[in-house]
Amino acid sequence: MPESVPSSLIIDAFKDIFQSERRGAPRQDPLGWIISVPDTHQKSVLAALDKERSLRVITCSTEDDANAVAAGLYITGEPVIVMIQHAGLYASVNTIRGISMDGKIPIFYMIGLLSREKDKDPKDSRHSMVRFAEPLLDVFSIPHARLEGPDDVRLIPEYYRKSRERKGPAAVLVGLETA
Amino acid sequence: MMKPEEILKLIAAARGTAICVPTMTTAPAWRKIAPDDLSVGCVGFMGGASALGMGLALGAPDRRVIVFDGDGSLLMQLGSLASIAGAAPRNLTHLLFKNGVYHTSGSQETPGGQGVDFAAMAKAAGYRATYTITTLGDFEKRLPGLLTEDGPILAQLLTGLAESTPMTAGPSTPFHQQVAELHAKVGGAR
Repeated sequence: MPESVPSSLIIDAFKDIFQSERRGAPRQDPLGWIISVPDTHQKSVLAALDKERSLRVITCSTEDDANAVAAGLYITGEPVIVMIQHAGLYASVNTIRGISMDGKIPIFYMIGLLSREKDKDPKDSRHSMVRFAEPLLDVFSIPHARLEGPDDVRLIPEYYRKSRERKGPAAVLVGLETA
Repeated sequence: MMKPEEILKLIAAARGTAICVPTMTTAPAWRKIAPDDLSVGCVGFMGGASALGMGLALGAPDRRVIVFDGDGSLLMQLGSLASIAGAAPRNLTHLLFKNGVYHTSGSQETPGGQGVDFAAMAKAAGYRATYTITTLGDFEKRLPGLLTEDGPILAQLLTGLAESTPMTAGPSTPFHQQVAELHAKVGGAR
């Protein structure tokens, strides 16, 4: 059965990624950027991020904006993570295709699976928003993994690295609401 | 009405080390006027130049970033006005080439046409300063301030149609190549 992941573990993973990216770099402030369109599923992470002085959180109007802002930051050499929900993934498909895929821009996404049932695999969910997220990522050949418990936090740096290595999008889906 | 190409020539002469983000009908003309590796053109993702410029401006605070937006393009991602105002990058100049039509797809009128006041929208969203410019002489006079004043600034430029569009111009440098070249230039040293 999937378990909820504490926000502190997720934020520590973000910081480790950013520290690794910043090693030896002249610019250290902010340590890294979180570009978000608020996601109910990850609200405990967003609340905790508000208290993090070393990270800069930018809230965007739409996921289209979030993708383009993240691309601009990447181009200037800044480390960035995008936090959205599955409905935002659907809303921004053309921008992900046009910017991250066609532009060969590594963008790493944390995508909340709001309404995912604890006792069901997402493919069997009665909610279309949950059911179609992974198949949609598959259509675009976007590597993805599911955060199903504290042990899966290791997937965050792994899929961040994947986005860098393949120069394109990669995603971790947040299976249950974060704690 | 100002000619977009004349505006772009003035910018090319004054931009210094600014990063430029042309979109749609300004993209082919800019390629001819300023064929360099400090620009990245936005074609094919339905708006996005404004938010891309915002990311560039936040990531490169020591450089001016100039977005050459279109009215049809900005309408597709109008919320970016609030995103930009919220993040408030001081080095962002947002130039809105307003011709009232979707030139690339056949010059169909944009919703509201020339009646839409993007300067008022940007001001209401929280931009630090906004302007509406109708003559080349006025643009030339204001340009030094547009490139140095604290942003985010939006200048709504009333223009005619560009000489070419992404559909009628020849092939351009692929987007990923423009991204790679700009990344190497401004992101490599960080």
